[in-house]
Amino acid sequence: MNWRFQSAAELLARASESGLGMAGFLVARDAAYAGCPEEEVRGELAHRILTSRRALDKGLSEPQASLSGLTAGAAVKLASSALGPVRDDFFSKALAYALAVNEVNACGGKIVAFPTAGSCGIVPGVLWAWRDSRAPELGPESRAFQDAFAAASAVGILIAARATLAGAAGGCQAECGAAAAMAAAGLGSLMGLPDGACVDAAALSLKNCLGLACDPVAGLVEVPCVKRNAFMAANAITAASLAAAGIRSAIPFDEVVGAMREIGDALPASLKESSEGGLAATPTGRSYWEKLR
Amino acid sequence: MPDRSLGLLDVFGPVMIGPSSSHTAGVARIAFAARSVLAARVERARISFYGSLARTWRGHGSDKAAIAGLLGILPEDERLSFSPELASREGLVYEILPVLESPPGYHPNTVVLELAAGERRLYLRGASVGGGKILIQSIDGFQTALDGSLDAFLVLHRDEVGVIALVASLLARERVNIAQLSSHRRDKGEEALLVVEVDGSAARGMAEAIRGLKGVLDVVLVPSIASGARAGPAPRGEGAGR
Repeated sequence: MNWRFQSAAELLARASESGLGMAGFLVARDAAYAGCPEEEVRGELAHRILTSRRALDKGLSEPQASLSGLTAGAAVKLASSALGPVRDDFFSKALAYALAVNEVNACGGKIVAFPTAGSCGIVPGVLWAWRDSRAPELGPESRAFQDAFAAASAVGILIAARATLAGAAGGCQAECGAAAAMAAAGLGSLMGLPDGACVDAAALSLKNCLGLACDPVAGLVEVPCVKRNAFMAANAITAASLAAAGIRSAIPFDEVVGAMREIGDALPASLKESSEGGLAATPTGRSYWEKLR
Repeated sequence: MPDRSLGLLDVFGPVMIGPSSSHTAGVARIAFAARSVLAARVERARISFYGSLARTWRGHGSDKAAIAGLLGILPEDERLSFSPELASREGLVYEILPVLESPPGYHPNTVVLELAAGERRLYLRGASVGGGKILIQSIDGFQTALDGSLDAFLVLHRDEVGVIALVASLLARERVNIAQLSSHRRDKGEEALLVVEVDGSAARGMAEAIRGLKGVLDVVLVPSIASGARAGPAPRGEGAGR
């Protein structure tokens, strides 16, 4: 079997030729590369899905507080608030869950990078919220749930192949932006959209993160990272909604990734995880830096 | 910098202690790999951070991550958070050196490790390229491109005819598949470094046999630090809680 692909177009073609679908093809590919049975790959997927849940539960069970004081229980506050304008259970949960996982990360807890630690709340936040709200029969062991995480990973693989997943190399579009695109594809998969539409949802999402700066205050993965996880969960849900309605991205996914790379290269070093520009360089941002030194 | 194509479990992973995949987990992995290359308990270490790391290492716990890796602690291990205490207990003396001006060609997230154990010395430069993935770019003056996704033998040998063939045929006899093979020479000198990346973990006992080949000066095995199913069993700790 030819496991190689350089673009979404190629991946979709190979997945469809194989008859396995995108998630099944990639599980088989991981197994072939590792020289192990597919069950082992699925077992590891289940382990990581469960680990993401533990982080989520930890973040909601008690207010998370970081040493810097910049992270202080936003997830618990949001989850217990009844004042939000949107009363949909899935949407509200997705925001709180994404926050919860990323607060645990900011506080040095155990998480699963997806694709990075600073963006680790977005995919699990959206997918676990869907499960809790709309599909309680799913769990780490269910194939459909694993396939959704695999679809999200697929988008990450494609972005890494043609651009980057590092904020220091491409700005935050490469981290929280990539995670939003991944979550859009994963949610599409849970909603039963065909593979092509899932990738299109990722394109719609990523287009709306292009140019995002990585300008963390005081060099910490907290501001704006933690709250951005909630905002990007909303982005992913918007993208999956459009894709489900049959709205296509005018620019195909592979070209959006090309644009992302070009924009990442053009971003100055001050906006690529050096904490020398943007929010980090604001008077308040600098005052945190001084306080924490 | 498109690398070797990633798998599902490279993107969905690693399981790690926060807060940063590139500045915490990636740094721990580079240091962990360096410890394997040194092939000894690290006694002294100078840890130099370049680029984004030079500016933000404190907030990301990159120092703790590097020390943890040097002690053989992987990114998902909760002991990472108190590695400085463990270092003093284990007699590891280290200094942290942030270097604000990077030499040309350095990745924006680079760490240089200068290690000593007894008479052994190691200079290793690694880049943390995103999501916890790494690239070891220089070992003792040899340019390399190791990403830790597979077991790798580093074979230091005299730069003479036939050494590569001897290593390859030895591995072939044991039915070990070579996934990638690269040969590196220093600018001058008569030594060369052969980097042999192999599939699976069947070759783990073969370093001694390779060391016995004509022309070979030294061999170390750098075990895979890949996530999950891609890597073989011990000495990794990942997936243990499954």
